[in-house]
Formats: sequence, C-alpha cells, structure tokens
Amino acid sequence: MTVLEYLQPESLDEAIALLGRHGADLLVMAGGTVAMPLVNEGISLPERVMGLRRAGLDHIARRDGELRIGATATLGRVLEAAIDASDVPLLADAIRSTGSWAVRNLGTIGGNLFTPPPGGDVAVALLALGARVRLAGPGGERDIALEDFFTGYLATALAPDELVAEVIVPLNARRAAFRKLGRKAANTPAVVTVAITLRQDDGRTHDARIALGAVGPHPFRATAAEAALEGRALDGATIEAAARAAAEASRPVDDPIASAWYRRRMVEVIVRRVLESLA
Amino acid sequence: MTKRVVSFRLGDHEVDVLVSPLTTLQTVLRYQLGETSVKEGCRQGGCGSCTVLVDGEPTPSCLLPVEDVAGHRVETVATMTPGDGLDPVQQAFIDHLGFQCGYCTPGMVVIARALLAREPAPTRERIAEAISGNVCRCTGYEPILDAIEAAAASPGTAGASAPAVRGSAGLAHEAAGAAEATR
Repeated sequence: MTVLEYLQPESLDEAIALLGRHGADLLVMAGGTVAMPLVNEGISLPERVMGLRRAGLDHIARRDGELRIGATATLGRVLEAAIDASDVPLLADAIRSTGSWAVRNLGTIGGNLFTPPPGGDVAVALLALGARVRLAGPGGERDIALEDFFTGYLATALAPDELVAEVIVPLNARRAAFRKLGRKAANTPAVVTVAITLRQDDGRTHDARIALGAVGPHPFRATAAEAALEGRALDGATIEAAARAAAEASRPVDDPIASAWYRRRMVEVIVRRVLESLA
Repeated sequence: MTKRVVSFRLGDHEVDVLVSPLTTLQTVLRYQLGETSVKEGCRQGGCGSCTVLVDGEPTPSCLLPVEDVAGHRVETVATMTPGDGLDPVQQAFIDHLGFQCGYCTPGMVVIARALLAREPAPTRERIAEAISGNVCRCTGYEPILDAIEAAAASPGTAGASAPAVRGSAGLAHEAAGAAEATR
C-alpha cells in the first residue's frame, strides 16, 4: 500500500482538527524514530501520516518553577537545555544514554513516551522527576501525571482525539541519580534503566521516587521500594530492602537483549548501586 | 496520491524534487539526485550509513521525510569534499586504514566532521560515543578512532566544516521555501 498523503499541520489546532477528520487511520509521527522504521519495513502500512515537526510544539521554556518542553522538542535540544541545569537532574544523563547522536536529533521528548520497552529511557527519568503531560484535544487541554499516562504495553491514557502537547517537569534540587545498564557503553537498549529522586532531612529519606524502565510493559514507579525508604536512613539494610522490593515489582520479559531472569536480578543490583550513590 | 515538489539546499545548490508522500531524504539523495555517498543500510536509523547533515546536525536520512527538509540545508560527504582534493578527515581515514569495504565510510566521515566542528580535541572515549550510531563490520573500529584522533590533531581541521550554531532552530522551524514547495 502506498502512503496517500503526508500531512504537515502548522499549529496544534490544525493538528487536532486533522486528527479529528481522519481518526484512527492517521499515523501520528513526531521525530519518526519509531514510526519510520515500521513504515520502511512495511510493518506499518498507513494511508495517511501526520508529521508534527511544523506544528509549533518544540518550545523549551522555564516558567513558574517548571521546565515546559514542547512535545516535538528533539532530545538533542532538550539535552542542550538540561546539560548544565542543576535544577533538572537526570534528564541530561537519560538523554545521553538514549539512541545515537543522529537519532537524538530526530527523536522527541513526546515521542519517547510512546517508545516501547526496552526503549523509553527518558520517560523513566521524567517519572522520577515527577513530570506531568499536557494533552490537547478538541475540548481543550488537560494535565495528567506521567505515572497515570502509562496504562499498558503500547497503551496510554491518551484519548483517540488527543495529542501530547507538552511535557512539564517541576524544577527542584532533589537528590537524584540515573543508571542505565546496557550491553554496550553507549547507544544501547536497556537491560534495566533506573532513575531515583529523593529528599533527605536530618539523615532520613522522604518522598522517594524510584522509576524503572525495560522491566515491565511501560516505565513505572516501584512504590513498595519507595515505601521501604520512607523516614529511614539510607543504610545498607534499608537499601537492600528497597532493592529487593523493586525487583519483586518488576515484570520483565525475555528479549534479544536479556532474559527476564537476568533483568530481575539486575533491577536489584542497579537499584542498590544507585541508592548507594545517593547515601 | 499527489506528488509534490520539495525544494531544499544540497550543499551550495538549490534542488527541486518531485516526490510521493513520505519519501525519505535518503531515497531522494541516493536515487533521485545521484548522491551515492548516501548509503542505504538498515533503514531503521540504526546503522549510520545514511548519515547526512541537516542544518549542520547529523541526521539519519532514512528516517526523515524529505517534505520536512523543505527550505533546509543538507550536506553529504560528497558536498563537503573540497573541489581540489580531500579534507583532513578524509585523508586521515586513508592514512590510518579507517575503512575496508567502505560502506560505512561516508557516514563515519560526516559524523566525524560534525564532531570536530564542535569539539576540536575530543577524547578517544568521546569519539567512540559520537560514532556509536555508525556501524562498521570490517575494521573493529580502532583504526577509525585512530583516524579521527589524527584528524583532530591535523592543522586545518577545525575550520574544515562550518560549525552549526548550538541550539539552532532545527527542522521544526519552517524556512521560506517550504510553504512555496507545498503549493
């Protein structure tokens, strides 16, 4: 089948209108790093494709204590914005660990939310940072916490007539660390990706956010592991308990990168190491 | 299905191409414009053999619909080659046996030049990270790292390629040519 039409809306409103007109038959594409390989291989055979590159959604702005990133801002540009920003930890590390330099020049922050595991490393960092997503549809906009955005494998809370318009990251100086375990040092799919932020008062840990990637149907928070840290000092026993809880919360699968067994073992190891780096 | 004329800059020349919807930049460069330095590799963005510069930024041309390139500037290893010979990066690949079959070489040279335009003296680790999206099945990479290190140390390399402005507008911002091309 041939692609009949490549639509290039020049505003968010126009994009939403086109989505309403063509509905589920429309393949929506931002950077194309996930969709274009499927089209090139003939796995996806869309009649109509909508590219969002010109829809005016690529802003990166600090406002009211938040970093607001337009859905189609490329990972390369977000990296430049985050690289020296101490109030936006994790993001630069997560982006550097994602894809190659050239792929990061196409891949977008919004598109990363739709990248199936073992991809989606940036989303793991965003989860730990407490990011939310602004969804836009014909009825207006709504915000949703990123942990509520993911609903299953390749499934999100996005309604069929909505688009992701913006990712909003609260700026704060919580303690944070990121670690992606892959089989190479760079440009490698994850065995497991771990991003953790927490607050410490008088040597006690509070409000930890432990986000895991590549070990479930979508990036998720290991809430039992977070609870194991609450109000406690980051000592060896507490870290062990949290790491074990994170491994138990994982639902990894076998794939060509790693077995489910190995992934679960590595969740425990990497969560422990990341917490030790924060102790 | 309506074909469309897309205009962009290839090196120093304006080009107009007539394309079907969602034709990739790689297909246009190699098969319509005869830029055979742009290889067709995995078509997944995973091998780097089709890497070109778009507004100075390294880009996998197999993942980019040419319609999104309207009004932008594309450079390939061929358009970057000086008229009177080779640039220091190309010469270093020869001097250090940085290729065998040569299939990855155009993409390697493009990404190496982009790196050296931004970072004139990268560490070996930094070079390895930069070329991590460019697959070579012949050399084992060490001669390629040698070549890029040598090119970095070579006089004349820093000015060989005009560095892109960091944080430049990128593809999202439409240039004047794009709207015309779609009418």
